[in-house]
Amino acid sequence: MKEFLEHGLNQNRRKFLSKMSLGLGGLALGSLMIPGLFESTTEDELFSNVLPHFAPKAKRVIYLFQNGAPSQLDLFDYKPMLQKMHGQDLPASIRMGQRLTGMTSNQAKFPLAGTKYNFAQYGNNGVWISEILPHLAEISNDLCFIRSIYTEAINHDPALTFFQTGAQVGNRPSMGSWISYGLGSENKNLPAFCVLLSKGKGNGQGVYSKLWSNGFLDSIHQGVQFSSGEEPVKYLTDPEFINREDKRAMLDEISALNDEAYKKIGDPEIVTKIQQYELAYRMQMAVPEITSLQNEPESIVKMYGPECLIPGTYAANCLLARKLSENGVRFVQLYHQGWDTHGNLPKEIEGQCKDVDQSSAALVKDLKQRGLLDETLVIWGGEFGRTNYCQGKLTKDNYGRDHHPRCFTLWMAGGGVKPGVFGETDEFGYNITKLPVHVHDFHATVMHLMGIDHEKFTFKHQGRRYRLTDVAGNVVRDIIS
Amino acid sequence: MNEKKIGQTLELCLWILNPFMLVLAIFDQQIQPGVFFQWTGKLHPLVLHFPIVFGILIAIYFMFFQQRKFPPDTEKLLFAINAVFACSVAILGLLLSKQNAYDGELINLHKWGGIAVAILSFVFLYVLNFRISLKKILAVLFVLVLIGSTHKGAQLTHGVNALSFPKTAVFSAEKELSDTTATIYEFGIAPILAQKCVSCHGADKMKGDLQLHTPEKILLGGKNGDILKGNLNAEAGLIQRIHLPVTDEKHMPPDGKMQLTSEETSILSRWIKAGANFNTRLNELAKEDSLFVLVNKLRSASNQKVVQETDLPDLEEFNSNYCTTNYLFSGSDEVEVNFFQGSFYNRENLKNLEKIKNNIVSLNMQGMPLAKEDLDIITQFKNLKKINLNSTGLNISTLDLLKTLTKLKAVSICGIKFTEAELDRFLNQATFSSLNVWSDHVNEKQLEKLISKHPSIKFYVGDNLENVIMKINNPVIEQDTSVMSDHIDVKVKHLLKGVVIRYTTDGSDPDSLKSSEYTRPIRLSQNTVLKVKAFKTGWIASDLVQRTFYKSGIHPDTIFLIKTPDQKYRGNGAKTLIDYELGETNMSNGKWLAYRESDMEFVIGFNQPKLLNSVHFNVLVDLEAYIFPVNSITVQGSNDGKQFKPVANVRLPEANKSELKRVSTYSCDFPKATSFKYYKFIASNLKKLPSWHPGKGEPAWIFVDEIILN
Repeated sequence: MKEFLEHGLNQNRRKFLSKMSLGLGGLALGSLMIPGLFESTTEDELFSNVLPHFAPKAKRVIYLFQNGAPSQLDLFDYKPMLQKMHGQDLPASIRMGQRLTGMTSNQAKFPLAGTKYNFAQYGNNGVWISEILPHLAEISNDLCFIRSIYTEAINHDPALTFFQTGAQVGNRPSMGSWISYGLGSENKNLPAFCVLLSKGKGNGQGVYSKLWSNGFLDSIHQGVQFSSGEEPVKYLTDPEFINREDKRAMLDEISALNDEAYKKIGDPEIVTKIQQYELAYRMQMAVPEITSLQNEPESIVKMYGPECLIPGTYAANCLLARKLSENGVRFVQLYHQGWDTHGNLPKEIEGQCKDVDQSSAALVKDLKQRGLLDETLVIWGGEFGRTNYCQGKLTKDNYGRDHHPRCFTLWMAGGGVKPGVFGETDEFGYNITKLPVHVHDFHATVMHLMGIDHEKFTFKHQGRRYRLTDVAGNVVRDIIS
Repeated sequence: MNEKKIGQTLELCLWILNPFMLVLAIFDQQIQPGVFFQWTGKLHPLVLHFPIVFGILIAIYFMFFQQRKFPPDTEKLLFAINAVFACSVAILGLLLSKQNAYDGELINLHKWGGIAVAILSFVFLYVLNFRISLKKILAVLFVLVLIGSTHKGAQLTHGVNALSFPKTAVFSAEKELSDTTATIYEFGIAPILAQKCVSCHGADKMKGDLQLHTPEKILLGGKNGDILKGNLNAEAGLIQRIHLPVTDEKHMPPDGKMQLTSEETSILSRWIKAGANFNTRLNELAKEDSLFVLVNKLRSASNQKVVQETDLPDLEEFNSNYCTTNYLFSGSDEVEVNFFQGSFYNRENLKNLEKIKNNIVSLNMQGMPLAKEDLDIITQFKNLKKINLNSTGLNISTLDLLKTLTKLKAVSICGIKFTEAELDRFLNQATFSSLNVWSDHVNEKQLEKLISKHPSIKFYVGDNLENVIMKINNPVIEQDTSVMSDHIDVKVKHLLKGVVIRYTTDGSDPDSLKSSEYTRPIRLSQNTVLKVKAFKTGWIASDLVQRTFYKSGIHPDTIFLIKTPDQKYRGNGAKTLIDYELGETNMSNGKWLAYRESDMEFVIGFNQPKLLNSVHFNVLVDLEAYIFPVNSITVQGSNDGKQFKPVANVRLPEANKSELKRVSTYSCDFPKATSFKYYKFIASNLKKLPSWHPGKGEPAWIFVDEIILN
């Protein structure tokens, strides 16, 4: 029978295999027509002169990070139901057994806490905004509120790291570093990524330099921390008795030595070092010119509030952020600490709002009046939200709120974003009911606004390609104008 | 060579050709054939007729001639020839497809159909001994695939209507349109519809029962009715669909198809809103009409040659540390230019840009010290759409030069001074539609008048805050130390321009009239409470800022501690107390000595007996951190350093519950002036915290950073 079949097919294993080898030849022939099939492509080839991938809506970003997680329920996400049910227990049907932090998971009861503040609707879009943010309410026509952003992390450091780097563990490049790597600096006399810190009186959480780390990217893409004091960038001023010419001569000698070392060893960090010296040299001239408040008219001081004249305040940082951005810094990252309102929320949040309300609004207005808002993306938000139930003792006008990653509010302005309200949470403000936006989606969207396809923008490190959005992220097209 | 040998050789060839074909087909996107292969691709239309004929003959042979067969070797040879042809045609077709842009769906069907034909032909070689019925089924299948794929091929080359009955063509792109007679529809609407809509809503496909290839059909509408008419509550159907977000299922064209550009969207909506008249001629529209402008732009765009990346100038030569240029995005020929750092501005950089003057669409000169000569250069950038001249110090009258830039849309001149009449004149010549300007120099009424006079311009004027009254922030006393040995010059600083700082040194509060005005550092030479306050007209005065300065006229020759301070807060040893450096409110900055387990006890010594009448302790108070004021101070004197006699003893008031964190001075005045070589000081802490404190019963800390002797 077997012989019969073989005869029928006129085929046996040996014949088959020998013919398969011919087939391999055919495959090989075909592969010759695919250029670079067996070559590794370097990252430079992947996107040299290719970025931005398409016409960008925003050229620069100013990210006003509200560190510690502001309570969305007392600022933006108005829930009359919570006020009605003030003091009653959070229904299990809403919580659905979802994980809580160790700080409240042992509480016997989860009494709902309605906000103490009055909300009103503002602007063309009828956005609900709390009475403690009067200045932001005034510019609501320019703001795009995402009420349905959510994260995975439940505690500050991982959540903050997630927002800044796209991963909860801290070894990845920061968002600003990615942008610096992809688009470079507009102004060659300033770093592409600058960081400004300030602190409110509320309960604070740490901010560490790992958040503006370059990760595995070249260290030239690291965030440079500015303070708004006499010496905005530390160690930038020359020691006495060294003049520019001597300095130049010294740098030339050093870079000649470094060049030689690079030729011998080939470590790319050497090139980075040369670039950094050069940048610092140019920054010595640029920074004082840019940070000087001399050319700011009085109306600007009134707009940001006189606090903007006090170095190190949030208001001063907002003003400095505008100046840096206006001078071509791609990514200005602010952090304002003090939003971690586990207890005594009303007292703390009022102080925090006082710190940030006027100057955040002023920044948006200022960019707009200079014709820069359409090309600058302003982002305002924390690392997660706060719970609808009270942490600790609930009284009529005092309460605290624990961490709540499942929904919170973030707003953006300018940079090709459509003003309005996006997404929705349930009437308890606990879960998202409409159009959820994950942190990865947020990153993908910001990249998109900058003209970058987040899926194509990668860096190869330790054998795999990395992206800011890892292997996820969808652009939220509906908020793009 | 006999039939058998040839047949076997061809069979071997097929084992090479078929995988080759599959590689080409699967990696279609990545394949980049060389020139020779591109040329061979052109043989596709020539060769393809062979396997069609061969194939049909084979099918007939399978169907009807199985009773009278060819000898096996002949049979195999014939089948192998057919399979080689079929495979070659497929390969050539794949190569050819790289050279032209074909409609995605058609080419895909044709591609895979052709490959199926090649593979079936190959399979035929191995079914020769199979049952007749199976061969017949294969034959039918083969013929169907063959017809299907060749039909698609014919459509590709000869147009979609190649094999349908002749129809009268209504719209033809080749038809020459004359400027005087052509309608808006012919110029602007039909080309858009033909390019982006008709493939699904045309003569051949009519999804949603809608056809858009002729005016008549457009008027008929689709299954949802009229698409051109809206009503009070809703826009016309077509306008709605094209404006939905891409992610919406109802958005047209659907996600994945080529989308409308924003200009095309705008043309369609404007035309429909204007009544969707098929007979209005384009030249009937006013020259300023947006529809006219847009349609003309569309026409010129379709006439322009596609810009090749290699044609674009390299921008490297225009870039310097103070001027950067870049294309808006990769593949764009539009360039944006930014100048930075006014103090390094060099007109040559701007002049150099004349080489790419037609590419520049956006120019940012913010903060550059510009003059008329610079504007003369700028006015050559004819395609400029956006210009930023904020704080350039230009005179508004020179800005008239901008009127020659007809493409200009957005102008920003914040910080440039003008009067109402000057701005009005500038606006009268405006070619732009958006203006950023600061209203500081004209009053609100004048500005409103100008805004209503120029409705075609959108103004961004910022807030006029002149009448808003705010409180000035506090002045800063810039002095590291509050202790002086002889005198001290105190600097006071405020960053707000035009602020007047007034101060007093007599303990009274400064007022805006009588108190001395700060003009240069204030010289103090004795214990003084310095009070300062900032004033400015139009502002509310700042809070009072005060600081006490101490004179330490007497500097001991030696000092040593008897009791050692807590090891975390040891400062610089005993010297910390007489180094004239105050610790400020940061308790862990190394300028403080702290005690908790014991009292503070130290001795100072002079070479000669020294007359003293008081001592001041500079102390940190921070109740939350358990740091309380000194409880009592005891002073003893001695001339031999062994026997100490009491000099003074004072018990200080207890801390108040509401006391804030601060640095404070506690004094002990001696009842009468005494003269000793050695003085011993004992400052005791509170041994039990009061009951209102969270740490009640525990000992309090004391923190001391300086002592001042008088």
